[in-house]
Amino acid sequence: MIEAHELTKRYGDTTAVHSLSFTIAPGTVTGFLGPNGAGKSTTMRMIMGLDRPTSGTVTVNGKPYRQHRAPLREVGALLEASAVHPGRSARSHLRTMAATHNIKASRVNEVIEMTGLARVATKRVGGFSLGMGQRLGIAAALLGDPRTLILDEPVNGLDPEGVQWVRQLVGSLAAEGRTVFLSSHLMSEMSRTADQLLVIGRGRIIAAGPVQQVIDSVAGDKVRVRSPHAGELATALTADGATVTSPEAGTLEVSGTTTKRVGEVAFNSGLLLHELCTHRASLEEAYMSLTQDAVEYRTHTTTTSRTEKAENR
Amino acid sequence: MSTLTADRPMTSCPDPPPAAAQVHPTFAGIMRGEWIKLLSLRSTWWALTSTAAVITLVALAAAASLSDMAGDTALTPDNGQMHGAEVIASGFHFGMLTIAVLGALLFTGEYATGMILSTFAAVPTRIPVLAAKALALVVLTAAVTLPSVTLSYLVTMPQLSQHDLVPALDDPRTWRVFGGTLYALTAAALFSLGIGTLLRSTAASITTALTVLLLLPGILSFITLDWVQTIVSYLPLPASSALLTTGAADDTGNYISTQTSLLVMAAYALVPIVAAAVTLHRRDA
Repeated sequence: MIEAHELTKRYGDTTAVHSLSFTIAPGTVTGFLGPNGAGKSTTMRMIMGLDRPTSGTVTVNGKPYRQHRAPLREVGALLEASAVHPGRSARSHLRTMAATHNIKASRVNEVIEMTGLARVATKRVGGFSLGMGQRLGIAAALLGDPRTLILDEPVNGLDPEGVQWVRQLVGSLAAEGRTVFLSSHLMSEMSRTADQLLVIGRGRIIAAGPVQQVIDSVAGDKVRVRSPHAGELATALTADGATVTSPEAGTLEVSGTTTKRVGEVAFNSGLLLHELCTHRASLEEAYMSLTQDAVEYRTHTTTTSRTEKAENR
Repeated sequence: MSTLTADRPMTSCPDPPPAAAQVHPTFAGIMRGEWIKLLSLRSTWWALTSTAAVITLVALAAAASLSDMAGDTALTPDNGQMHGAEVIASGFHFGMLTIAVLGALLFTGEYATGMILSTFAAVPTRIPVLAAKALALVVLTAAVTLPSVTLSYLVTMPQLSQHDLVPALDDPRTWRVFGGTLYALTAAALFSLGIGTLLRSTAASITTALTVLLLLPGILSFITLDWVQTIVSYLPLPASSALLTTGAADDTGNYISTQTSLLVMAAYALVPIVAAAVTLHRRDA
């Protein structure tokens, strides 16, 4: 369970995170979406007690992270795949973290096995691929068998098999009643992994809720029609109260209606149809539509703001 | 909980819940974590080996040059008063260089690599990490200084015996110099740790630490103003010289007393670390 209340982070004049309030429920996989610089990493760092909020509060499992008696038992985090000294072996890295909490060596071996790092566990991390680094980060997050997992871009750099593995892993962790909060840029991946979405842009919440609800709220279903009489059909549909756009000649996208009604309108007007189907908006489209303003804002910002620095470090 | 492997689809297997009562941070655990960190990096071993090597080699060189110095009384009027232990400890400055680099790297290395996120995620209260690093550094400094001095003692013995300068082990002045070496090196290491924790950047920290520890007295020696020279005498290197001599040659007026020296070096060790502890808690990682 993660609860943020009016969480705000300012760097000088730039507000990286603006008054975020949200609750991430246990037993779910919650996807955290937003364009670069939206404030995702900053938010995650504040949850982990690494950055201090300018105002507002955030608690994990009922307490600010810093106040937990056994932090690694409460929260496991993958914040940056590079949060490891490259000169150390994967096993040594995990042992340093395990030692602080008196976690047994057998647990270190367990997470090494779980994440498929057994063959490279004694190799120096500096030589790891991005994907191997991610697996080590996930191993570190799992080390304390935590109730809450916070994963920043966990599939970044993973091969398809690794992506599938992360999907199964987070699904099963949530099924055990844990809280899983993960960010990603891969919208298609998120639609298959997450149950809930929290979408932010420019440090503010744009949308939140179950995945399908978020998609529907932004881009409802559209009817796609192909007809040699597209122009006449468009006029007839508009007269019927629908909103019509034409992405290409001979094709119409109609919203505010159903396939049944479009068929009836066409029949009544005596117009031939070549294709009639429901076009379900994807998360990708919903996301683009949702974050358009935020992305535009960022694109037009010429100075490298502190927000971006906070996001990328 | 269920166990997932990279190679297979998920398989559920019963796994007894970890003994939650025992799994939490303790200072002993944090200390052990810092040890694993130190010993699992090659840079630690390089720093320790080179510290021992430079201390021993410079002592050897100093002992070897005793013959020349003896023949050139104009340059070394104090030669007659020189104590063998001082010769053995003459590699101290160079040991200070490498041990200071090691001290600075304890935190800056973590900031540079991002490891600091893992460290602070495990110990979000942060201060115990600084305390554990300081303690580990003190132990390491002792662990490298004692064998270095022993080694220096042994390798310089043939040269020193020619000049009848082999320091007697029952001579308190011998132990004063050896103890002073350890004390000053420990202070220098902790000073660098504090600077590194405050500045976070490896380059800035090492530059600052080495400038204050080693370079500044040389740079300022060209300014003969009294008040500048007073400041110089309180810089780590001149301040520690009272600890590194037998006391016979420190009535020249430039050096501060042994008691003051102990206090000044303790201040160099503690002030940056205390400042770092205060800011560490508040600053963003």
